[in-house]
Amino acid sequence: MVYQEFSLVSSMTVAENIFLGQYPRSRLGLIDWREIHRRAEESLSALGVDIDPRAEIRRLNVAEQQLTEIARILTKQPRILLLDEPTSALSDTERETLFDIIRRLQARGVGIIYISHLLDEVPEVGQRVTVLRDGRVIGTLPVEQTDRDTLVNMMVGRRLAEQYPKTVVEPGETALRVENLSLDGVLHDLSFEVREGEILGIFGLMGAGQVELARILFGLEAPTSGRIAIGGRETRLRHAAQAIKHGMGLLLRDRRASLVPMQPIPPNITLADVSQVPPFRFLNLQKEAETAAGYVRDLSIRPPSLKRPVFYLSGGNQQKVCLARWLFSGVKILIVDEPTRGIDVAAKAEVFALIDRLAQRGVAIIMISSEMLEILAMADRILVMRAGAFTAEFKRGEATQELLLQNAS
Amino acid sequence: MPDNLPAEAGAQSSPGETVRRSGTERLLRSIRDVVIRGGPVIALLLLSAYLTSATPYFLTESNLANVGRRTAVTAIFAIGQTFVILTGGIDLSVGAIGALAASVSAVLMTQQVTLFGVTVGPVDFGVGLLVALAVGVVAGSVNGLLITKGRIPDFIATLGTLEAFRGIALIVTDGLPVPSHLTATELKGYLPEQMIAMGSGSILGIPTAGLIAIGIAILAWAVLRYTALGRSTFAVGGNREAARVSGIKVDRTKIAVYVVSGFLAAIAGFLLAGRLNSANALMAGEENLNSIAAVVIGGTNLFGGEGGVFGSVIGALITGVLVNGLNLLNVSAFYQRIVQGSVIVGVVVFDQWRRRRFGA
Repeated sequence: MVYQEFSLVSSMTVAENIFLGQYPRSRLGLIDWREIHRRAEESLSALGVDIDPRAEIRRLNVAEQQLTEIARILTKQPRILLLDEPTSALSDTERETLFDIIRRLQARGVGIIYISHLLDEVPEVGQRVTVLRDGRVIGTLPVEQTDRDTLVNMMVGRRLAEQYPKTVVEPGETALRVENLSLDGVLHDLSFEVREGEILGIFGLMGAGQVELARILFGLEAPTSGRIAIGGRETRLRHAAQAIKHGMGLLLRDRRASLVPMQPIPPNITLADVSQVPPFRFLNLQKEAETAAGYVRDLSIRPPSLKRPVFYLSGGNQQKVCLARWLFSGVKILIVDEPTRGIDVAAKAEVFALIDRLAQRGVAIIMISSEMLEILAMADRILVMRAGAFTAEFKRGEATQELLLQNAS
Repeated sequence: MPDNLPAEAGAQSSPGETVRRSGTERLLRSIRDVVIRGGPVIALLLLSAYLTSATPYFLTESNLANVGRRTAVTAIFAIGQTFVILTGGIDLSVGAIGALAASVSAVLMTQQVTLFGVTVGPVDFGVGLLVALAVGVVAGSVNGLLITKGRIPDFIATLGTLEAFRGIALIVTDGLPVPSHLTATELKGYLPEQMIAMGSGSILGIPTAGLIAIGIAILAWAVLRYTALGRSTFAVGGNREAARVSGIKVDRTKIAVYVVSGFLAAIAGFLLAGRLNSANALMAGEENLNSIAAVVIGGTNLFGGEGGVFGSVIGALITGVLVNGLNLLNVSAFYQRIVQGSVIVGVVVFDQWRRRRFGA
């Protein structure tokens, strides 16, 4: 089983992780380290990747971690292999290697269940496709009989004319201006501005510095130098609470880092507002429940229980709870970082619709994404980022996938 | 503004639907809930029922009052501990803070003290109580600051302050019980009667300490449920990073819970000294573990984010009743410890099983 989210021990080395729990023993019954490293290197090179088996997991980037995870599963020689969104962190070439391996395994008679929300992948690896929606099997088809539209149709339960519902909004005043922002070794002299109602796309491959940029803008990290002006006024944010006070919101790429898992929906939605209140101010729980019920209805969060911990919600619904938090806090500037990572097509469309709705209300949106299709479709303006610096800027309609990639890598 | 988003929302169930149920169904469900969730309450009832039938002395007014007074102290310690554990921390110094607060105020209330050339005391009961509370708040802040600004794990920080606070208490009391015939001034050779009344008196037949504990429990419950501080406490323990990116001041919340814990430990220590009619630097030695046990038996997650004060009060009652019952049944003190340990582990094993089986 390969999980979408990783199950590696981050303080151990690649080789240790690959053989976790079943280390080869030497004759004395001790762990045979030489054998481990040799076989780890072997299985990694079988995947066609170059990772040092002695490296600690936490020093690897996400793609390398994902590949390690896959290597680990393959050493166990499974007869049935369950892959859950295995490519969500991989580059195109790495993905091709993985598909090669899958095809080889298939030829060897291994049964493979491949879970994905990327429609392009399905015909490449699958023979049969089963579509699930809301916990039900919608149908199973041989892959030859499916095309993109049929699949989307099955997944969404309606024609998806508006997967990217972008409306044209006339941008207003400058909401956020950043000048010469730098962070030692990570970000280099970034300057840009976002206007009210504008969706600014920031495109870059993983690790280009987008995460750090978002964290600095939101006051979670201090920049080495540079100026940030919110609503025309220069501001120095030292804490997320100040960012929220200035009407900012941040949707993290890792939803689990935004939610308090064992709390139900209402406290999760109001958390950012509660942080603005003095510690002994009493909260109106009745009103909170009503507000939350409103968002649950409005964003069709399912299951619509206000008592169940958000831990049990699906990724898409968790993401909607995160968004509801910023809707409720009345954001003026919203930073969304990979807003659709690991959520299904229908939820994606809903998330985009929400983002669009916010833009119509005059919210300035910074959309960080490495998904070219969504950034091309949603952004009014795109900045391309590479190694911590902007390499190109495109207006809506000017950019193509090729142009984005050329400038990003 | 075109609101085309929730097109299919109407077809889906609305939040209200999960609530609408027939009366019987609701009753059955709530019985099931009590059985599943109310493990500690049921354990307490069963234990009391057994002791009532096993010994004629259990259900007597004087015995129950005795249990109430003892449990009240543990319960107050445990309520403070609950705040800390809800944030994912642990306070090993509560017993020491209680002893320090009681010692400092007892010394001030019975002796003349010369500090920096100024001679004070013996002070009134009111001043003594305020001093005790202040000691608790200061000690709690020290814990909180060490953990947040010093970036030390909660466990280590409070283990260190536990020793240090005991040491300070020993210095303050000279290692003697207060009041003692060696140190008492001619002015006052005993603790104030109000303090003794708080610890061992009754109001309308109910132990005063028990009433104080109940009052504190209700207040603490309200703080956790209805205030921003309560929310922050749960958020920090449930997911520290999420709390941070939502603007919650994590450090401030942590300091606040340790101050709450120190403050309540001071009250508990004060009550304990009142009950014993004596304070000393090494009192309340078992209250660290007792309070943690009470919190855990009460269903609060040791990793934070889940639980509440009423569970902890029930947990304190279970341990209190258990000890009392074993005494009444003439079980040797050595075996008592085995039974107590087994009960703590047993309740938590049951609780873990329940969580896995039925979800939270």
